[in-house]
Amino acid sequence: MGWGRTAMRFRCVFILVVFVVAYLFPFLPFPSARNAHSADAPQLKLFQALMCEEIFSNAPRNPTIVFSVEQKKAVCFTSFSEVPQITIIYHHWYHRDVPSAKIRLTLKPPSWSTYSSIQLRETDIGPWRVEITDETGNILYVLRFSVTE
Amino acid sequence: MENFAVFISSIRWQDVVDISLNSYILFRFYVLFRGTNVFRVLMGMTVLWFLQRIAISLGLIVTSWVVQGIVAVGAIIIIVVFRNEIRRVLQAKNLKSIFWGLSYKTATTPTEIIAETVFQMAARKCGALIVFPGKEDLSDAVQGGTPWKGLITKEMIASIFWPDNPVHDGAAIVQGDQITVVGAILPLSDREDMPSHYGTRHRAALGLAEASDALVIVISEERGDVLVAKGNRLREIKQKRTLEHNIQEHVGTAAVNKGAVRNEALEIAAAAMLSIVFITGIWFSVSRGQDTLVSLDIPVDYINRTAGTQIVDTSAKSVSLVLTGSGALVKSVTPDQVGVRLDLSKAAVGRNTFTITSDSISLPPGIVLREVTPSEVDVMIDETIKRELPVQIDWVGALSDNLILVDSVITPSNVEILGGKRILEGIATIYTEKVLLDKLSGKGEIAANLVLTPPSLKMAPGFKDKVTIQYLIRERE
Repeated sequence: MGWGRTAMRFRCVFILVVFVVAYLFPFLPFPSARNAHSADAPQLKLFQALMCEEIFSNAPRNPTIVFSVEQKKAVCFTSFSEVPQITIIYHHWYHRDVPSAKIRLTLKPPSWSTYSSIQLRETDIGPWRVEITDETGNILYVLRFSVTE
Repeated sequence: MENFAVFISSIRWQDVVDISLNSYILFRFYVLFRGTNVFRVLMGMTVLWFLQRIAISLGLIVTSWVVQGIVAVGAIIIIVVFRNEIRRVLQAKNLKSIFWGLSYKTATTPTEIIAETVFQMAARKCGALIVFPGKEDLSDAVQGGTPWKGLITKEMIASIFWPDNPVHDGAAIVQGDQITVVGAILPLSDREDMPSHYGTRHRAALGLAEASDALVIVISEERGDVLVAKGNRLREIKQKRTLEHNIQEHVGTAAVNKGAVRNEALEIAAAAMLSIVFITGIWFSVSRGQDTLVSLDIPVDYINRTAGTQIVDTSAKSVSLVLTGSGALVKSVTPDQVGVRLDLSKAAVGRNTFTITSDSISLPPGIVLREVTPSEVDVMIDETIKRELPVQIDWVGALSDNLILVDSVITPSNVEILGGKRILEGIATIYTEKVLLDKLSGKGEIAANLVLTPPSLKMAPGFKDKVTIQYLIRERE
């Protein structure tokens, strides 16, 4: 009889503990499934972005922020150290805040370097910027340069 | 009626003072110089001035020039020729009488005593010369003489011309009830047609009468005749009553009665009224008569703007006002006396169109608005916001061929800008002024101003419109 009462008391305490734990569980500082997933999932990682005069042997040559019109060309080089999957990025070229070109580039895993360029003319003289964005338009980086005479 | 009210409201206090002051000056001129030759010449000059104005209004250029020249020369001639007369008027009166008093003609000369004495002396064949000056100054015509200033009595006149008196050969000058000068030497007449029995005394009497407006009584020492010289006439007087009447007419004693005083007061009152009318007429011709147009570009002042909003654009920074008024007033108008104000208290965010009415424009009195261009102004009102924007350098020029600008760091890299919401939403970058590359080498630091376009943009508090640029230049590979 005494054992039976003890067993009953134990069951009640157990049920109470289960309820309390079940109630408090969402508030415990465990990583959520979503966070755990995003933290663990490999992300696109921009390693290098710069303006240069030309690409030589798949590498930027003469990085600069001022281009003479006489050089005929300005190159925007971007290098990604982590590319989890085939990804589309964009190079948006702006001349004095006015959109000038939007170049679509494809990145392939596991890492990838790519570039875009524009031909320089007399009318292109002035300040420029290139916004590097992902497919959804998130700006990954902004490069600023000038075209001079 | 409305025009009259507009006219009354356009009269400035300066105009009232102007008319009053000049009317009084003209009136004082009349009081001081009435009856003199100066006054007559001044009247002539006034007529000439009117002729000149008429000639100008008719477009007679040469005529107006000639008349203007005559008036200008005439003014100098008056001062030179009538200097003694002017001096006498001004010296004879104290300052109060020049600016305030009314000089009624004094008529205190005892004409009866003089006439009676003259005939008594004539009966005794006692020669005499008695001068009664008119309005003209005699100081140029009369030479020498001894100041006397004695009240006129029979005995005094008789004693002056008593043969043993040292001054009996000269003339006695009578002013009012006094003999002011005795023994005066008068100019002699050159006339050839004088009777042979007339002596030097007669010639002297006629000489002064010819040279001035004085009346001169002469008693012949040889014949005991009494003669009166005035103008170019020398006539004999037989009766005491006639002589007395002649003297009274000359010195004004005949006019001394209540009626005459009243007439003179009326004359002065009429002169005062005419002075006011005359000056008012001149004021009208000068200040209102000529419609002169002038065009002024006046900046528009936008007032009562709602807090938290700003003007980002206007269709007109200034408006052109065509103003009309008299030449004198219009020429004196300066742009800072004219204001164009638009009340923005009822303006809303966005485009607002305001019509510029006369209520929006403040003008000096006497100036009338004829035209406003443009008559409507569009004002773009925007909500004021603050936005953080990146700064970019506007490089210009060129480095040496072997150099490239590798990098630059701007401090601060971002600035906060205050401005209209619509404008700031369309701006992604704040640029520096043009920064010249030509003289740069190696690495260094330079400063550059920021260019805020449009000018309605302002730096937020805590931010300067200047940035520091650190640059790095290397040789090209």
